[in-house]
Amino acid sequence: MKTKFLTILSSFLLMFAFGFSVQAQSISGTVTDDNGVPLPGATVLVEGTQNGVSTDFDGNYSINASNGDTLVFSFVGYTNQSVVVGSSATVNVSLQPDNALSEVVVTALGMKRNVKAVGYSITQVGGEELSDNKTTNAINALQGKVAGVMVTGGSMGAKGSSRVVIRGTSSLTGNNQPLYVVDGITINNSNLGSAGVWGGADYGDGISSINPDEIESVSVLKGGAAAALYGSRASNGVIIINTKTGAGTKGIGVEFNSSTQFDMLNLSLRDTQEIYGQGRDASKVSDAIDTYQAWGPKMDGSLVAQWDGVARPYTNKGSNLDKFYQTGETYTNTIAVSSSDENGSTRFSVTNLDNLDIVPNSTLKRNSFGLNSSRKYGDKLNVDVNMKYILEDQEGNPQLSDSPGNGNFAVNLFAPSVSVDDMMGEGGLGRNADLTEFRISDNTYSQNPYFAAYNFINSSEKSRFIGAVNARLDITDYLYLRGRMGGDRYDLHKTSSTPWGTAFQPNGSINENKSTFKQYDVDAFLGTDNLQIVDGLVLNAFVGIGTNVQEYDAVSKSGSDFIVPFLINVGNTKNQGGGYSYWKTKINSAYGSAEFGFQDWAYLTLTARNDWFSTLSLKDKVAPNNDLYTSASLSLVLSDVMDLGDTVSFLKLRGGYSQVAGGADSPYALSLSYGIYGQGHLGASLGNISGGTIPNSEITPFEKNETEFGVDLRLFDNKLSIDATFYDNETLGDIVGVSASATSGFGAALANLGNISNSGIELLVKGEIMRTDDFAWNASINYTNNTSEVVATNDTGGNISMDEPRSRNLNVTHIVGEKYGALYGSSYVRNDAGAIVHEMVNGIPIPKIGARKILGFGVAPTALGFGSSFRYKDFNASILVEGKTGGQIYSGTNAFLIRNGHHKKTVPAGGREAGFTPSGVMEDGSSITTSIPQSQQEDYYRRTYSIAEEAIQDSDYMRLRQLSIGYTLPSDMLEGSFISKATVSLIGRNLFFLSNSTDNIDPESAYNNGNSAGLEWFGLPVPRTIGLNLNLKF
Amino acid sequence: MKKILLTFFALSLVLSSCEFDKGFEELNVNPAKASQLDVANKFASVILQTSGGRYENWRASLIYQSVMIQHFSSTAGYWSGDRYFRNDGYATSLWDRYYPSAVKEIEDIKAQLTSEGNSGSEMGMTRILRVFIYSRLTDLHGDIPYSEAGQGYTNGILKPKYDAQQDIYMDMLKELEEAVAQIGSSTTMGAGDIMFGGDMAKWKAWGNSMMLRLAMRLTKADSATAKAWAEKAVAAGTMTSNDHIAMVQHTDGPEGINKNGHGEVFDADGNPRMSKTFVDWLKDDPRLPILAARRSDGSTAIADLIGMPNGSTGATVADTSIYAEPNRGVITGRDAPMVFQTYAEVRLLKAEMAFRGWSVPGDAKTHYEAGVKAAMQMLSQLYTNAAVISDAQVADYLAAKPYDAAKGWEMISEQYWAATLLNEYESFSNWRRTGYPTLTPTNDPGNVTGGTIPRRLIYPTGEESTNADNFAAAIARQGPNDFTTKVWWDK
Repeated sequence: MKTKFLTILSSFLLMFAFGFSVQAQSISGTVTDDNGVPLPGATVLVEGTQNGVSTDFDGNYSINASNGDTLVFSFVGYTNQSVVVGSSATVNVSLQPDNALSEVVVTALGMKRNVKAVGYSITQVGGEELSDNKTTNAINALQGKVAGVMVTGGSMGAKGSSRVVIRGTSSLTGNNQPLYVVDGITINNSNLGSAGVWGGADYGDGISSINPDEIESVSVLKGGAAAALYGSRASNGVIIINTKTGAGTKGIGVEFNSSTQFDMLNLSLRDTQEIYGQGRDASKVSDAIDTYQAWGPKMDGSLVAQWDGVARPYTNKGSNLDKFYQTGETYTNTIAVSSSDENGSTRFSVTNLDNLDIVPNSTLKRNSFGLNSSRKYGDKLNVDVNMKYILEDQEGNPQLSDSPGNGNFAVNLFAPSVSVDDMMGEGGLGRNADLTEFRISDNTYSQNPYFAAYNFINSSEKSRFIGAVNARLDITDYLYLRGRMGGDRYDLHKTSSTPWGTAFQPNGSINENKSTFKQYDVDAFLGTDNLQIVDGLVLNAFVGIGTNVQEYDAVSKSGSDFIVPFLINVGNTKNQGGGYSYWKTKINSAYGSAEFGFQDWAYLTLTARNDWFSTLSLKDKVAPNNDLYTSASLSLVLSDVMDLGDTVSFLKLRGGYSQVAGGADSPYALSLSYGIYGQGHLGASLGNISGGTIPNSEITPFEKNETEFGVDLRLFDNKLSIDATFYDNETLGDIVGVSASATSGFGAALANLGNISNSGIELLVKGEIMRTDDFAWNASINYTNNTSEVVATNDTGGNISMDEPRSRNLNVTHIVGEKYGALYGSSYVRNDAGAIVHEMVNGIPIPKIGARKILGFGVAPTALGFGSSFRYKDFNASILVEGKTGGQIYSGTNAFLIRNGHHKKTVPAGGREAGFTPSGVMEDGSSITTSIPQSQQEDYYRRTYSIAEEAIQDSDYMRLRQLSIGYTLPSDMLEGSFISKATVSLIGRNLFFLSNSTDNIDPESAYNNGNSAGLEWFGLPVPRTIGLNLNLKF
Repeated sequence: MKKILLTFFALSLVLSSCEFDKGFEELNVNPAKASQLDVANKFASVILQTSGGRYENWRASLIYQSVMIQHFSSTAGYWSGDRYFRNDGYATSLWDRYYPSAVKEIEDIKAQLTSEGNSGSEMGMTRILRVFIYSRLTDLHGDIPYSEAGQGYTNGILKPKYDAQQDIYMDMLKELEEAVAQIGSSTTMGAGDIMFGGDMAKWKAWGNSMMLRLAMRLTKADSATAKAWAEKAVAAGTMTSNDHIAMVQHTDGPEGINKNGHGEVFDADGNPRMSKTFVDWLKDDPRLPILAARRSDGSTAIADLIGMPNGSTGATVADTSIYAEPNRGVITGRDAPMVFQTYAEVRLLKAEMAFRGWSVPGDAKTHYEAGVKAAMQMLSQLYTNAAVISDAQVADYLAAKPYDAAKGWEMISEQYWAATLLNEYESFSNWRRTGYPTLTPTNDPGNVTGGTIPRRLIYPTGEESTNADNFAAAIARQGPNDFTTKVWWDK
């Protein structure tokens, strides 16, 4: 405090001194870019003199100049501006960029750095990329826009979670998603509930809470050098999101944004046979209750008794997907009020999102409130406060994967002569008159889709608060102290219920779960900004300490067998149980960074960080519970020191080496513990071993080492830019479940034995193809290719099995020497010539089931995106086409469509009546001569269900991902009104495929966002979206 | 400049003296769990896990075995055992469930007692239960991990070897002998003994009865050993009345683990029917109206009880509700007991011993009749709603169908088959050993057994990846991982 007072006092004295000696005054102000974002390190020069200063962290400067002097403001990548000093002591300047690229990037820990100095690959995306064509889970709008970042999401419904993988998967079994930092605070992104092999519903993830309308910019830190300062949680990269501040508003500004979107099914995806109706063995009357089988005779219009005994015409009823799914609707409305003055800015926003999913009775309501305030106190102290409060209500989350409760399963499998319109039932909503389930199958676990959609409950209420305070105190000219404190807390209440009257659980059940998650981070660091050590050598450095604490507790109560039907209350059940779970972890860290800038063209950045993990601590443990990791990166701006001709306007070479520690996410994993479960039995308590993984007391974090080098080349006056990065990373000592045979009593043991490497290339080419006063055309191509290799799995180099689909004939497996995530499943038996070997069973040749083999890989290695944006006078349009190639998918839907006679391949040329002779050979090598008659063809295809290879396909696609056309009202039209800017845009997402190598499903399907990519099992279809967006600024 | 460097230097000194991981060791201990529990708290849990949950009882016990040996039948396509389809997940369900629960826990209890130096009743009870658990697994699958199983944590064995069934049997018999000897007059298990409530005499009786059962299993493979151990068991003292029945009493809740696994299946699955084979055999048997009831209206009138032939499909049977199903008023309850071994079985095995001329007090006929009586009268003891079968009814039955020494083995085995209803593991094992009752296999085009009744259930193919070498060795020794490969004692 004293120091501050003294500093202020001395400043005043100095000012007076100067004021008396020369007829000059102190001119001060803020330099911002064209978006209002402050530009640190911009140069303010009194023209014709050596008198110059740089702007500070917040773009502020203070310089002495006389009346009539010209101040020249300059910053790399922006056009210089000159302002003549007049009577006003405040000169604020907004610099216009030379081209569309911004030269300031937000790097780790909120440091704004000049792109010149950054020695690693970092991509920045403006907020409008995420809000113009918004998705209910904000991060999905990033698909196809950033090289090296693979985003998959969408087939788990509007409320579903997303999977973001940067530079390949770094951990064989652990978390592979990046760290999300919002306004300087790390937020929790865990998945709040997901579907697995036995079914379940997806309750979304952490990033889905962030409001796309409030995002100002997104920085993706892809590699270790970029992320090293965030510590072990950033081993998969960091996505930094900054929300809008009020900066740059003139006076008080109000912004209103309204968006309406409609989601529609892409019916062209599914192309199944429509000739043969329900039946078995070519008979339309056998097994009326088995509505999934399409092995009946040709549909001829005759009346046939269906599953409920009612006679209906035996004709093609049309697409059940079309009948069951509805058009989804999403309405998002935002109002934001912001203001700014010379001491800071404030922005307050309220957003309401109302979504109706394509599955009936599935809704999402989200209200988000945000308050961002940035204040300067005196000359030295800057304090930013960012708060977000989100209230979310989800109802009717659709169940995915396995069939119980999963209406998608039934709707996809009904035979063509069966119509879902007939399944509402006498009691309505899929129920009989007595309100029990109106069954549509002999298997109690196959759900009537309307019964599933309208009567099962999978809902959640969430309230979440994310708050951060960032403060910076400038102690002297080049010494500062920064502190950050922030927290993320959510309270979640989940309810799931199987209704009374369900076929597989006649008396129903209910589960209530209330959980609270709290996370807080506190950091303090001391640093220097632009400190000249010697002539030509500038140092930016800081040293800091921090702590991250996470705590979770949950109480649940469940009950089965409702006493009073339809009274949905867990107290109203006969058999009740419950549980309590708790965990807490802490990570303490010490870190530092030093960036040496040599003559403004060469920069060397060194970082070091040491993390101490509570999750790796155990009494008497020998291995350490902490890890030190370092990084070094170099940036050389060759265009500043060499003459490269007129074509080259900027050339930077960058490269570096980094280490990051990671893993060690789970607490209590170092020792075996026992628990009491259930409620006892006949007076005895029930206790057993907790957990199915053998603990390892000597676990250490894994180390991920990465080498990267890249080129940033801009040609033709920055009209064409090429950014290429090559990277190679390796994770050593990955914590893997060393697979144990289930007969050991456990599924796995933990050990630091995994080793996975990824190498690849990221390429981003951007160009301004044309620009006139009226018309501009910018295009970009981004290309990512990642090759992964499982270098080591465990002590014996055995396979690590991950998830399996419900058919249980395949596992996503990590195999040494192969790429990540092999689809390892049962295959056809083939002879040397590759012909499929058959065996005679009951007089017909059926393919033999062969051993498990690698059938493909679930992660596509290559992604390509083409984007173009146009501007013509007041119109603007943009288009993004993107696709992936090189991966495979195991489709449970197709496995069933083939087995049950829906898939077109089950109809031979000439129809089923003509019989078909399979291609292949018999066991003795002879060619097959038997023609399988229609009544036995289903036995052939029933066998193929057990052969995983049959349902494996390439998952390559290229699709029109985003399209938007917008119109900004010309300012003369708005003159006189209080509207300062109005924009209307028409948007579309996932409109159509340019190519798709899968049958009947969307190639991006999945039923959870976990590590077992490549498994599809009756998830939701990815819809096409069309919408309208209106943005008004007052 | 110098000041800056000095500041940083001072800072690093300060930082290096900080204890950055203070309190971390305590933080990493789960406050909601315990580092060890008393064996009494674990025992009831492992017994319930042995009885099993709905999952394995549905798949291994009912969907496969109950219809394979034609106690039940079903037209539903997923009842794979009726027409001998291959469903990996169903066939391996006992294995998938037992090893990570019952096996793991019983090995943990045994290890805990060993480290506590306990060689008394608790150790004896644990070893008897342990043998029972493994006997189910080996009878069903053949060679299995046994000596190295369940020791992932205690001994770090992640890939247990598969022991030859012969070695397993010899070890199990020895275990039973030693275990019974360890049982004293009382136990500290307390309420944890939910099978016999601390009655040590019953534990001994069960231990010896298991010895008799396992011994008799070996009649095909090694008759001499079978004889020696059977006689040893009889001499040591097996069950003497229905009060000694080894079973687990279940309750209707509060949670799934408390309920009878079969009972939970019957709640969820309305597809099983009484097999025609079984109903026809139960003609004039007072047990029929207790065990069966007509699906459509629950009638237990004898004329209304018709069994559905195995191998029926939706095409051959228009309306399955005319057939009899397991009596939902009596034997299918969630609170029904799960029976591990009955006194009736013991008498019938003794009858067989007598039939073979082995050393057992009493002749075959006496044991046979006592076995039939026990099997009939145990129903009212096991199931609350079962009608009591009077001595007179038993006598009438035995008079009408007297023991015929010429077909002695057939009659004994068929009674055994009837007495082990809902203990399908035992029923399937004894049918394989004796060949009785004579069953006609179904012959569906989709069958994987060449039109024969399976002789085992397959190993999980996951073992191919997680335990490759041992798995391959087991197959090389026993035969292909098919439903038709015979286990050692069945050869």
